[in-house]
Amino acid sequence: MNYVEWLRVRNLLKIVVIILAILVVLAVVLRISFARYMSPEAWVAHAAMQHGTHETHLTLSDGTKRLILDNPSERTRIVVDDHGYAGRHIVITEPTSSSHSDTDHVNVGSIQVVESRHGTITTTVIDTNGAVPMLYYMLLADIVALIVATILAAPFAREADGHLEIALTKPISRIRFALGTIGADVVGIIAASIITVVAFYLCQLLFESARVDFSGINTRAIAMGIAAPLAWYAMLCAATTWLHRSYGAVLGFAWPVVILIAVLSIINPTNVVALFIHDVAWVLARIIPFSYVQFASPDSHNALIYQGGDFARRLSLEILLFVVYGALAIWKWQRLEA
Amino acid sequence: MSTITISNLRKSYGRIPAVDGFSLEIPGASVFGLLGPNGAGKTTTFKCMLGLARPASGEILYDGKPLAPAMFERIAYIPERSVLYDWMTVEEHVEMTRRAFRSFDPARAFELLATFNIDRRRRVRALSKGMRTAVMVALAFARNAEILVLDEPTGGLDPVNQRHVLSLMINEAAKGNSVIFSSHQIGQVERAAEHIAVMDRGQLILQGLVDDLKADRKIVEGIFPDITFTLDGIANDARVARADRTERVVRLLVTGGADEIAERLANAGAMGVRVLDLNLEDIFLYAVSPATSTADVVAKETSS
Repeated sequence: MNYVEWLRVRNLLKIVVIILAILVVLAVVLRISFARYMSPEAWVAHAAMQHGTHETHLTLSDGTKRLILDNPSERTRIVVDDHGYAGRHIVITEPTSSSHSDTDHVNVGSIQVVESRHGTITTTVIDTNGAVPMLYYMLLADIVALIVATILAAPFAREADGHLEIALTKPISRIRFALGTIGADVVGIIAASIITVVAFYLCQLLFESARVDFSGINTRAIAMGIAAPLAWYAMLCAATTWLHRSYGAVLGFAWPVVILIAVLSIINPTNVVALFIHDVAWVLARIIPFSYVQFASPDSHNALIYQGGDFARRLSLEILLFVVYGALAIWKWQRLEA
Repeated sequence: MSTITISNLRKSYGRIPAVDGFSLEIPGASVFGLLGPNGAGKTTTFKCMLGLARPASGEILYDGKPLAPAMFERIAYIPERSVLYDWMTVEEHVEMTRRAFRSFDPARAFELLATFNIDRRRRVRALSKGMRTAVMVALAFARNAEILVLDEPTGGLDPVNQRHVLSLMINEAAKGNSVIFSSHQIGQVERAAEHIAVMDRGQLILQGLVDDLKADRKIVEGIFPDITFTLDGIANDARVARADRTERVVRLLVTGGADEIAERLANAGAMGVRVLDLNLEDIFLYAVSPATSTADVVAKETSS
C-alpha cells in the first residue's frame, strides 16, 4: 500500500471519525435531554398518570407482560405487550374529531407506527425494537463514502502536482505504485462506510437495542453501497489523471455536472433542442455510476433498485465502471512525465 | 562502481529542443559536475536519465543496462526544487523513504537532519527553502545508493551547509559511488568534481577532467598602444581556440604553446603580454558565452 496515500486516507478518516463522534455526542445529549419524553414508554407513562385511568397488569401464557390502561371518561385504551428483547407492541385507541378513514405508516429506525382512522376512532399501533433495515445505514454510509471518495479521487494528479520525482523514483513499477495508491483509497472509502454504519448504530443503541435486518434487499444494498462510491471514485480518478493540472476544478464541479446530466437525462423533451440535450445527457448518464443507483423505500414497488434480476446487472455495471475507469487512470499515469 | 552511458539523447518540449543529440559517458566512483547556463538542458537530461521524462530518441545505460524500476534501489535523486509533501512531517518523509528502499538507513537520515538543525517533527510547509533542500539531501545520502543524481543540491543552503553537502558528495565518491550533480556555483563544482561536462542549448560542448581542462587551456592577453592593430594571423593558429578583442585588448584562449603565442603577440606590437591560468569559471564562461568568435576577429583583421 502506498504510504503517502495511506497518510492522506488516514488524515481524512480522522476527520470523518471526529465529525461522526460529534454526531454521537449530540445523540447522547439528545438521549439524556429528550429521549424519555419522546419514547413510546414515556408516552404510555404519561397516559397512566391521567386522571381516571385504570391500570391492569397481566402475564400472558407466552410470557408476554401486558399492561392495559383504560380511561372510560376520555374513551382511550392503551394495551402494551412487552416481549422483552423482541420489543413492545402498543395499541392505542382514542377518539378523534375527524370522520374520514385513512391509514398512515411511519418508520423511524426500529420503531414502526401505523395509525388508522375509522369514523370517530383512531387506532395507533406501535411496534418497537424492530429490525432496522441495513439499507438505511448504507444510505447514510454512502453519503459519507461518496464525500470521502470525491476528496480522495485525485491521487495521481496530486502526485503530478510537484511530487513525481518522489513517486516515480521508487524501486517499483508505475502499475504497482498505482495499484497501491488505488488500494489505499479503496480501503479508505470502505472504512469510511463502516465507520459511518458503526456510528449510526451507536446512535441507535442509545435509544434502543437495535437489531439490523440483513435480509434480501438489505444485503444487496451493502454490495451496491460499496460498489457505487468506488465506481464514482474511479471515474473522478480517471478524469483528474487526464486533466491533472486542474484536478481541483474537476473535483469541485463533478457533483453539479453529474446532477445536471442526471436531471437532463430524465426530463421529458418538448422540442427538438430539448430532445437533443436530453439524448446527449442520457448517453452521458450511461457512463456515470450514479445512473445505476436509485433510492426508494424498501417497501416501495417502483424504485429501490437493488431489486430482482436487475440488481445483478446494475452491480456488474458499477464494477465494470470501476475497473474501466481505474484502468484508464493507470494507463494515463504510466505516461505522465515530470 | 557504476558507469552511465548516454547516447544521442534527444528531448523536446513542443517544438523547443531541450536536449539535442547529447552523448556522454559518466565514469563510476567519481564526482561528475554537469554545468550549463539556464535552459541548457541539464535538468531534462537528469529527468531522462531517471525515466521521469521520455526522450524522443537516444539511449541511457547503467553498466550497460537500460533503466528498470528495481534499479532505483541503487539510485538516489535530488531534484532542483522541493518535491517534498508540504502537509507531511519530516519524520513521515523518513518513514516514507524507509518503506520504499531496503538500503535506506533512517538513523543516518536523522543524524544528517540533526547536522542541518532540522526538527523531524516539523511539517515541510513550515520549513524554509534551504531546509527543504537539506531534508532532501539527508534522505538521499541516507539511501546508501550507488548512484546519486543531484540537481542543484545546495540550492538555498547557507555556506556552511553547502560545504557540508560537498563533503558528503566527495565522501560518496571515496566509497566507490557515483555522484552526478549540477550547480550554477562553479566554485563548488571546481571544489568537488573530478570530471565535468558543459551543456549549452541541449548539446555537449565541453567535457573532461577538471585538472586536464585547466592545464590544457591558457589565456594570452595582450594590450596594444592603439585600437588599430593587426594580429598577423595569430588568431588563425590552430591552437587558438578563441579570440576576443575589445578596444586595445585582445584575449586569446589557447590550448597549447601559450608562450610561443605570447611572443608572437609581442612581436605584433602588443605592449603588455601576459599568460594567465584559467579557473573552471573561465573555462565555463568561454564555453558558453556567445563571444566574439575567432572567425570574427580574423574577419575584422582582414577587413582592417
